[in-house]
Amino acid sequence: MFVVDDLLINPFVSIMEAVHSMAISEMYDTTEIKNEIKENRLLYELGERSEAEYEQRNEELEEQLEIAREAHEQTRGKVEVMR
Amino acid sequence: MSSNLYTYGIIEQAPLTVDVTGINGSEPIRTVDYRSLSAVVSEIETMEPERTDENASAHDEVLRTVLQSDGGRTVIPMRFGMVFKNENALKNILRNGRVAFRRSLNDLDGMVELGVKLVTKEDATVDRPAVVEDVSTRLREAADTEAANDRYSDRLVFNRSYLVERDAQTAFDDAVSEIRDEYEDSMHVQYNGPWAPYNFVDIEIGAEGH
Repeated sequence: MFVVDDLLINPFVSIMEAVHSMAISEMYDTTEIKNEIKENRLLYELGERSEAEYEQRNEELEEQLEIAREAHEQTRGKVEVMR
Repeated sequence: MSSNLYTYGIIEQAPLTVDVTGINGSEPIRTVDYRSLSAVVSEIETMEPERTDENASAHDEVLRTVLQSDGGRTVIPMRFGMVFKNENALKNILRNGRVAFRRSLNDLDGMVELGVKLVTKEDATVDRPAVVEDVSTRLREAADTEAANDRYSDRLVFNRSYLVERDAQTAFDDAVSEIRDEYEDSMHVQYNGPWAPYNFVDIEIGAEGH
């Protein structure tokens, strides 16, 4: 498990920090959100989603993206989780 | 002067009169010339225009209008958000990059980019590898070069861009129509363009926008 590896290699990383940062990577994966933004746009262009649906979903996703970027910004340099 | 120059793309040096609105509602669209090159620009207040849907389509719209002006021009598109503080900063980029820009203009002469996407209709199942094989074979016959794009959605079966000679566009249109006729029961076929050839130029500009 990489959390354990991290702790072995870097004793200054607390388990809470490692777990927290791992959760952030998963929850706030910006690629995933960007893909959803593009998919939403595509389905709107193809007429499967109404303009109102498209705009509402787009707003939600843009907000998520903003939050994800901030979360990454805050954890950057603290803990390396992905190895 | 507080205005900065938002740059859309680069063309062969020539007079340009187009009636289209740019980023943040800016007008007019004009050129900044350096030797045989012209950069297509408009003046905006900010150095960091927001990437909204409106601005992204304004960027595209300007490029498409330039592409179709004067009986059809060749355009090297800039990606969204290239802003220069003044004409001198922009001319420096044109000077430093002139070899690459000239080469691209020659390579892309008379070419436009067309995009084709196939997207499964809700709950439809398709033999994806077979579709990709068939569609790509047919389109390749009418195109010069192709570029594969991201399949960012599970519903996307096929997403490619093609570089096509203006004169060969009708043949390409026909190929797409045949594909649509054949697959429309199970898939949407989205055909778009002509675009400036975003997917076929690869020019790195250092010191982004400054």
